[in-house]
Amino acid sequence: MSVKRPRKPATAPRKGSTAWYRQSKLLDVLVLLAWSLVLFRYWITGKLFLLLHPDYMWLANGAAIVLLVMAGFKLVQKQTIARDTAGHTTLLPPQVSSFILLAVAVVALIYTPQAFASDAAIQRGISDSLTLTRSQPQRFVRQTASEDRTVIDWVRTLNVYPEPDAYTGQSVKVSGFVIHPDDWPEGYLMLSRFVLTCCAADAYPVGLPVQLAVSRQAYAPDTWLEVEGKMVTATIGGQRQLTIEPTKLETIPEPRNPYEY
Amino acid sequence: MEKFSNGLTLFFSLLVEAIPFLLIGVAFSSLLLFFVNERTLIKFLPKSPLLGALAGSLMGVFFPVCECGNVPVARRLILQGAPSSVSIGFLLAAPTINPVVFWATWVAFRDQPEIVFLRVGFTLLIAVTIAWVFSHQRDMRPLLQPAVARQMPKLRPPSAPANPLLRSGTFLMRSDGTPLKLDDPSAQSLIASPPAQPMVVKLQLALDNMVQELKELGAVLIMGSAIAAFVQVAVPREWILALGQNFVTSILAMMLLAAVVSICSTVDSFFALSFAATFTTGAQLAFLVFGPMIDLKNIGLLLTVFKPRAIFYIFVLAAQLCFILTLFMNFYVS
Repeated sequence: MSVKRPRKPATAPRKGSTAWYRQSKLLDVLVLLAWSLVLFRYWITGKLFLLLHPDYMWLANGAAIVLLVMAGFKLVQKQTIARDTAGHTTLLPPQVSSFILLAVAVVALIYTPQAFASDAAIQRGISDSLTLTRSQPQRFVRQTASEDRTVIDWVRTLNVYPEPDAYTGQSVKVSGFVIHPDDWPEGYLMLSRFVLTCCAADAYPVGLPVQLAVSRQAYAPDTWLEVEGKMVTATIGGQRQLTIEPTKLETIPEPRNPYEY
Repeated sequence: MEKFSNGLTLFFSLLVEAIPFLLIGVAFSSLLLFFVNERTLIKFLPKSPLLGALAGSLMGVFFPVCECGNVPVARRLILQGAPSSVSIGFLLAAPTINPVVFWATWVAFRDQPEIVFLRVGFTLLIAVTIAWVFSHQRDMRPLLQPAVARQMPKLRPPSAPANPLLRSGTFLMRSDGTPLKLDDPSAQSLIASPPAQPMVVKLQLALDNMVQELKELGAVLIMGSAIAAFVQVAVPREWILALGQNFVTSILAMMLLAAVVSICSTVDSFFALSFAATFTTGAQLAFLVFGPMIDLKNIGLLLTVFKPRAIFYIFVLAAQLCFILTLFMNFYVS
């Protein structure tokens, strides 16, 4: 006759629970510390600029501090409570959660975020008709000297008054990265910037065409350029567009903060 | 490779944006657990399902959390035995109807104030309706994940008087004369701790609870963000936007976008702003109303509380109501 083996108790065995507690506490501290480090790293290296709009950075920075404080408290905390692990609500077992959090934090510590580049711009559909303008009328300062306008200022201005001829002859000085739109002739490239409203998830590109004397192959995609010149109207791909006729084209390093707002 | 790198950047940007709000959410939830008395809370809630739904929907005013933060609070409400109308109303409305989000939407749509008020109005209408529908399910347990259902207080018979002394269960009389229900998980952990320094101990318990919730919801958030980032990199945004020029498809496209982008409700108005000119007013409203209720990232969090069936009901109801209301907007108002 076989005897039914008694079922194991569902709860963690109390024996050695101190060691178990210490172990799981250590894991918690590690998870909190790792994420705090991730946020501190973005903060200190300035890579947060690639991920968030500056208006929201204080939130991430605050979270870095709070997580560090929590890790500290957790570390010095003594075992005061018999923790009820059996009935806790989890979609994932706690150990799995800790592991996922820790693993992603490690990836975040190793991987350096990259600013979006031309391929992302093409994938996201670049446009010179920026639609952001309407709700930020305070940005339209008509008196702005035309050479002080950034790419996005130009696009905003164009959105209000789209006739390219109206801007002919105005001097321009903008910086951005190079895109080679597929359907444009060899003599034109697009100088582009990503616009951020809150975080990199909603970054979208805007750009202005640049007329070149040489083939655009001289400027590889993703090169950062500062362009000085005059505005002209050109017909590119069957569309009349406001175009920069450069007098000076200079390669510059990627700025610390590659986005515009 | 570039795509992979973009995807990772997107992924971390979503996480970095959402983690502070998740922290705020679990902090509120833990404070609610240890500093708000279940009885006090429920005593103040109206008994009628409709008023309860309204009260739950408006509770967000006191808990400024976005949709990554409201799930832990809603779960806490359910665990503390709040009626289903209250917790569902809170779940759907709190991410939108709270001071922080109102302020953010106001900042974004300063010159279209009707969007701000319609956002709040539509959200309230949808949340109250769905919460009312769910209040007919007197026992929430079949809709909840078994682990949550187990922790819920025993269902009181509908005829039970408000007097807590007449409830079933084991009680202790506290020094101030109030009873403490023993089979309540929070009470159990409170009893297990020495009563000498209640405040310190309470804070410790709150911290423990915070870490635990942060861990499990954080892991879920990571998976949701990963999916959202993947979809954004893999599906050209143009596809979604190309749908969106006429009255009907623009609404559907924006609802789809809201679900896919999974952006926090505190900042989504700035995102919607970027579609202000290309999309109909109704479509923008659809984005602002529907996004905070249901999105990819959020479904993962909801799965920690509800069974897929319940989430599906909420999803379908919210989508239909949102669609009808904003379509009405498009045809008759704007």
